[in-house]
Amino acid sequence: MPVESYLGVPLHRPKVAFFEFTACEGCQLQILNNEATLLDFLSLVDVVTFREAMSERSDDFEIAFVEGSITRADEVKRLKDIRKKAKVLVAMGSCACFGGVNQLKNRFNDPKWVKEQVYGKFPVESEEARPLEDIVTVDLKIYGCPIKKEEVEKIVTNLVLGKSVNHPKYPVCMECMANENICLYKLGEPCLGPVTRAGCDAWCPGSRFGCWGCRGPADAANVDQIISIMEEHNFSADTIIDRLECFGGFKAFAEELKKKTAKSKTKKKRAGK
Amino acid sequence: MENKLPFVDVLKGVPGYQRKSDLRSFEYSYKAEITNVYPLTASEKLYQIQITDPEMRKRFTFRPGQFVMLEVPGVGEAPFSISSSPIRHGDIELCIRNVGNLTNFLSRVERGVQVGITGPFGTSFPLEEMMGQNIFLIAGGLGIAPLRSPVLSVLENRSRYAKVDIIYGARQPSELLFTYQYDMWRKFDISLDIIVENPDKQWSGPVGRTTDILSEKLAAPAGSLSRNTYAIVCGPPVMFKFVCNMLTEAGIPMQKMFVSLERRMHCGRGKCCRCNVGSTYTCLKGPVFDYWSVMNLKEAI
Amino acid sequence: MIFRIIKKLELKELFDVMAENRIIGPVQKGTSHEGKPLYAFEPVLDFNDLKLDYTTTTRPAKRYFLPSHETLCTFSIHENGWDKSVDFNIREPHVFFGMHACDINALDKLDKVLLESNFPTPYYAAKRKNMFIIGVECNPQPFCFCRSMGTDSASHGFDMFLTDLGDRYFVEVQSAAAFNFLKNIKTREPEEKDHTRYMKVIAEKNRKFTTAVDTTDLAKILDMEFQSDVWKYWGDKCLSCGTCASVCPTCYCYGVEEAVDIDLKGAKKKKHLYSCNLIDFAEVAGGHNFRPESHSRLKYRYYHKHRGFMEEFEESLCVGCGRCSEACLAKITVPEVIASVRSGVKPKGRPGRHGK
Repeated sequence: MPVESYLGVPLHRPKVAFFEFTACEGCQLQILNNEATLLDFLSLVDVVTFREAMSERSDDFEIAFVEGSITRADEVKRLKDIRKKAKVLVAMGSCACFGGVNQLKNRFNDPKWVKEQVYGKFPVESEEARPLEDIVTVDLKIYGCPIKKEEVEKIVTNLVLGKSVNHPKYPVCMECMANENICLYKLGEPCLGPVTRAGCDAWCPGSRFGCWGCRGPADAANVDQIISIMEEHNFSADTIIDRLECFGGFKAFAEELKKKTAKSKTKKKRAGK
Repeated sequence: MENKLPFVDVLKGVPGYQRKSDLRSFEYSYKAEITNVYPLTASEKLYQIQITDPEMRKRFTFRPGQFVMLEVPGVGEAPFSISSSPIRHGDIELCIRNVGNLTNFLSRVERGVQVGITGPFGTSFPLEEMMGQNIFLIAGGLGIAPLRSPVLSVLENRSRYAKVDIIYGARQPSELLFTYQYDMWRKFDISLDIIVENPDKQWSGPVGRTTDILSEKLAAPAGSLSRNTYAIVCGPPVMFKFVCNMLTEAGIPMQKMFVSLERRMHCGRGKCCRCNVGSTYTCLKGPVFDYWSVMNLKEAI
Repeated sequence: MIFRIIKKLELKELFDVMAENRIIGPVQKGTSHEGKPLYAFEPVLDFNDLKLDYTTTTRPAKRYFLPSHETLCTFSIHENGWDKSVDFNIREPHVFFGMHACDINALDKLDKVLLESNFPTPYYAAKRKNMFIIGVECNPQPFCFCRSMGTDSASHGFDMFLTDLGDRYFVEVQSAAAFNFLKNIKTREPEEKDHTRYMKVIAEKNRKFTTAVDTTDLAKILDMEFQSDVWKYWGDKCLSCGTCASVCPTCYCYGVEEAVDIDLKGAKKKKHLYSCNLIDFAEVAGGHNFRPESHSRLKYRYYHKHRGFMEEFEESLCVGCGRCSEACLAKITVPEVIASVRSGVKPKGRPGRHGK
């Protein structure tokens, strides 16, 4: 029996639907992964569409959880259609929030060449990878590649209770330190933890794997400073750009650094001549 | 086994109930019931909250200006100034604006719900010290919430004070709080002036800011303000800064003016540091400060 | 005070006697890319893992008495009401084997605000009262400035304190529990040669301090220089990541978050240590932020450590362990910040590059 109220405040069991675009569907799998709480999760909401988990589907939903980036014209149309039907549209995961790993193909600035390299002559439509926000209004973002199931559960519980969803504003360092990890810079590894939004419980740094910024910048992220710090630690411009560019959350900073690096390279070349 | 250190139970043998020093009281909250919810405006409601246990309710005493921490399990805990009269003990009233997570949830609860109350905490307005003197009670916006407790206390002890002037300003008439009580307050021989910045069609009262009314009042002072007048000012920092500067110019000493500061608090007990202004704990040294102390706090205004 | 001398080899015996209890001590947790050992306070099962000659631990032992995350209470929810149950999250005493003076002094400072002031916190008290502390004389590092803070030696706040005299330890005994433990091993009264050796060792230690902070009138100077441009310089460097507070043995500020269980039948109230450098530290409901700029938050941190605590308890909240300076990727160091505030002169170039 689903609980009807919380401390006298009636609860509303929203109809939710899950959708995927260009993505690995790993975020949706994360939700199904939590067997211990899956039943509780399912009694909080009324899932009407979830291709990865059930065969029924319905167009009558209030909350749409959307995974993936947008890379084709038909996806644009479908996303706009979902937006029309959903009261709340949730961008779920790095691809939906920032373009994710998919947007790495945008770095080549030559979509035709990329398509040829990947698909050869096979007739596939594939344009630039874009985050949902480029096309429709996004009400809520769930960060991460993949998303963290505990966080999704918290967010959905809050939605049902009418509590607002407050992402941590501070960077991953807080969680990394709380877990007593050794700072990866001490071990000679680059890490975007000091500027990336927390909420992942320092998943990667905890496994001695530097942060790649999948959750995008924290509030007040001092990215210029972390770039200088990485330079001081003798990480190459390419290493830094690769990190900033990987998930799309730090795209603007990566672009700026690229321009700067290109400039200094031409300078060096000229000086060399 | 003689080398096994004994486990120390910190609660064992701690004498009696001492709210400020007993380790037991730190996480103790009174169970209380929201007995009534009264909508005041579109965004503010008055909550009547009663400590459930009658003994505890009687034992709960506070002074005007003090605050309690109100907790809704799983939703949040936050500080609120008590808006009711101290003679009502643990049958308190809180005026709450819907701005955050906890207050939003509270805006949806109905009477009958159990909440947690801890406190009272903090400093208060020294109403005993003010006896025999004139009092200015000046509020802007939601500042009327902490001001209402001293107002009610003064009304209940009317004979002990000389002239009482309440000046209350709001942005627009629809934001005025406790409108149903103005007539009653006036009947207690209190001068009550209400002023709004943006009047609507029905508004017939004065238009402007609290300082406009105040400057009129200060133009014709009754006797020496430095000797016979106290002031309590509640409102946003910009407002109390202007008001207090005006009062200072009129001759009221800074240590006879009192303001109530608002900060975020996670404990109310001088532990979490979230409410610090400069390096002063608002929860311990405040929320009520005299204006001299406020002037000496870094980052207060 | 009771003093004893024990042979170095006897220390293992002492450890084994104490091992009936949970022992926390300095162990090597890793090696930095520069080849330096990285130490941490961890549970120790084998005496050989205990590194009493450690330089410093990258983190204090704080997690054992002020954990970064702690459940303050749980609620069970019924229709219109609830019941609360409180747990202080400690089950047994802990032996801390090998704390330096700075960390022992840090505990004394925390006691002042968390135990000895109004509203003492039982979560801390319960853990603190179950600590058995063995101090050990330290080996000053280039970043240590405890001597400037008056925390380079501990006069109380421990059960027993060890000073390495070469082949033996000079032991200060301050509690009956410590005295009882020592009954299990061979000890002797110190003789004149032990005293002489002890004083020589301490003098040698004191010669190793290279960093100093001028704390004269610091509280007043912080007030005077509240508007100084120097703060902005440091604020621009600051990552607002909170690492300085996480590694600080005396930072205790926190945030509380409540969450409803996913089955809606219970709720939890959780505390997590916060940092005044984090962007939303002074943000209130409705979104107003009293310290939106990073320099105002950084300044507040210094203000609280070196002025606010001073005002309240007549001592600084900083013990000069230098961990924050070591951990800060932006190389914001206490000695440099304070020197620049005093002089009003911003360091030249990037911080951390000079004077090192």
